[in-house]
Amino acid sequence: MSDDAAASSAPAPGSAPPRRRILPALGPPVRFLLRRLAMVTPILFGVLLFTFVLVRLGGQDPVVRLAGPTASVQQIEEVRAELGLDKPILMQFVIYVTKVAQGDLGRSWLNNRPVLADLRQRLPATLELLFLGVGLGALIGVPVGLTAAFGSGRAFDQISRIVSLFGFSIPTYWLGLIMIFVFFALLGLAPAPMGRISLMAVEPPTVTGSYVIDSALARDPEALWSALGQLVLPVLCLAIVAAAPIIKQTRAIALDVLATDYVRFARASGLPRRDLRRIVLRNSLVPVITFIGAELAGLVGTSSLIELVFAWGGAGQYGLTAILEGDFTAVQGYVLYVTTFSLAIFIVVDLLVFLLEPRSRAS
Amino acid sequence: MSDAASSPPAGSWLRTLPLRLRVMARHAPTAFAGALIVGGFALLALLAPLISPHDPMQANPYDVLKPPSGQFWFGTDGAGMDVFSRIIHGSRLAFGIAVPAVAVAMLIGVPLGLFAGYRGGMPDEVLLRAMDALRIFPSIILALALVAATGKSLGNIIIVIGLVDAPIFARLVRAEVLSLRHSGFVESAVAAGNTRWRILFIHILPNAMRGALAQSAVRLAWSIRVSATLAFVGVGVQPPTPEWGAMIRQGAEQMVTGEWWVALFPGLALVLLVLGFNLLGDAVQDWLDPRRRTGVR
Repeated sequence: MSDDAAASSAPAPGSAPPRRRILPALGPPVRFLLRRLAMVTPILFGVLLFTFVLVRLGGQDPVVRLAGPTASVQQIEEVRAELGLDKPILMQFVIYVTKVAQGDLGRSWLNNRPVLADLRQRLPATLELLFLGVGLGALIGVPVGLTAAFGSGRAFDQISRIVSLFGFSIPTYWLGLIMIFVFFALLGLAPAPMGRISLMAVEPPTVTGSYVIDSALARDPEALWSALGQLVLPVLCLAIVAAAPIIKQTRAIALDVLATDYVRFARASGLPRRDLRRIVLRNSLVPVITFIGAELAGLVGTSSLIELVFAWGGAGQYGLTAILEGDFTAVQGYVLYVTTFSLAIFIVVDLLVFLLEPRSRAS
Repeated sequence: MSDAASSPPAGSWLRTLPLRLRVMARHAPTAFAGALIVGGFALLALLAPLISPHDPMQANPYDVLKPPSGQFWFGTDGAGMDVFSRIIHGSRLAFGIAVPAVAVAMLIGVPLGLFAGYRGGMPDEVLLRAMDALRIFPSIILALALVAATGKSLGNIIIVIGLVDAPIFARLVRAEVLSLRHSGFVESAVAAGNTRWRILFIHILPNAMRGALAQSAVRLAWSIRVSATLAFVGVGVQPPTPEWGAMIRQGAEQMVTGEWWVALFPGLALVLLVLGFNLLGDAVQDWLDPRRRTGVR
């Protein structure tokens, strides 16, 4: 993972690279991808071990709670044996990892449903929210950051700086609550903050799991409209929080590029403003993409909070509930999902950087 | 940095304070605003029992969910407790968790970064890998899981927030140590026969703290946010203790039914204090990094 850090801290010295066709580079990217994928397994293993030890050695004993207040000592021990918790912890871990390797994340200790199926069912909701929110945040943040950098020190720069500092300071869940109050309770514009589709609407048949896409596929305008309406507030909420760091980082990156010798030379040569901006944009692209990728992975936690506020019913809310309830298998499954998601994002970003940045191929 | 060499007597610092503040207000308005906000909240926290008009933990069944009025400036919550008084007392917990948490983070992170950066090699590699692994995982979820696993006591919350935050300080100090390790004054200290401990703590540490200290305001802001988030989710400070996140949690349901004041005001206090620390941190970072200085002509 140190590679992307290096990429973000080294914003393109040297001359403006010429345009490259992507297709001829397809051979090396595959090799690059395979090298990255080889790193995934040890990281996942380490994360699993860490959460396993943490969760098992934590203060709560789930067995006592599961068995109920009236259970005898013998019944408690029976439940313990049933869950495999009477074995030594190392043995438990080996059994767990073997099962995970076979694609079995175990069953929730609270409702006995398979964790993998639960997560898979909820994942589209989370991804829908996360990608739309961060995407909108990037659509706002990147142009604002670039404009601020081009006119650094001017009014727009100062205003955008204050606005992004506000974005850094607002707790997401509180922003969500305020939005619910203003747009639902006060103005009646937004639908009730309860889930991804109105109770009146008929859920579309599941194809992708995303209600928006599914209802569009099923040609059900009513469901589509309802699903879109439910999305507006949570997505807006996430976008505002996501945009703030993107504004700050894009501005810093563009300022670094503006200070390079090649941009100053281009400026001194009297290049028109538009061309100058194109050069800066092209050379800021890689670090900005790297940063947005890191944001996407980092906002998994924040979006879980938004899910909680809007009763979104996605994987994030599932994970938070599992943590609060001490549902250990579900927590482990959730942690595994979060780590896998982050790793996938980082690999995709690395691949993009590899394709966009010829210099990164040297190493 | 140059005026530190001549080190003026301690009395003159206090005497010139009003002048410095005026200069600051003119030339660094954002830093001034940040200092004003943070100072204001610090004052609130110190004088909380004197200022607050009501007992922050006194439930009153006759005054449940009263809207803001002359008697209850910010209204009352579902238990009839005065929101205004609870916000004032809540600032005590905001500082009381964040300041020790950042201290814990520094106490863990700074020595780690110091040793890893100076020794290099295997320990450095292990530290870097561990921090990379931590970076993959969202810090809020990590803090939540840790507190849920270890228990909701105040001490645990502080230690967990510090622990989750420590890698940032380790990384900053390590980077500074790497660049200082082969500088002239360190090499001459080695040549003069200083012990390793002396070199590390007397010669390198004071010079390596710059980045970490500059980050501390931003980390305080982050710690306040996280402790409130923990309380909002329900694993942090528990009601009826006046804590902003817990108060927002209490007011969450009332938001749908229209009693906005229960959650709005603690959230505003939270935003304001976090913004204050962020303004301060932003200004310090700009000041330390002349390339990012803007608007100064």
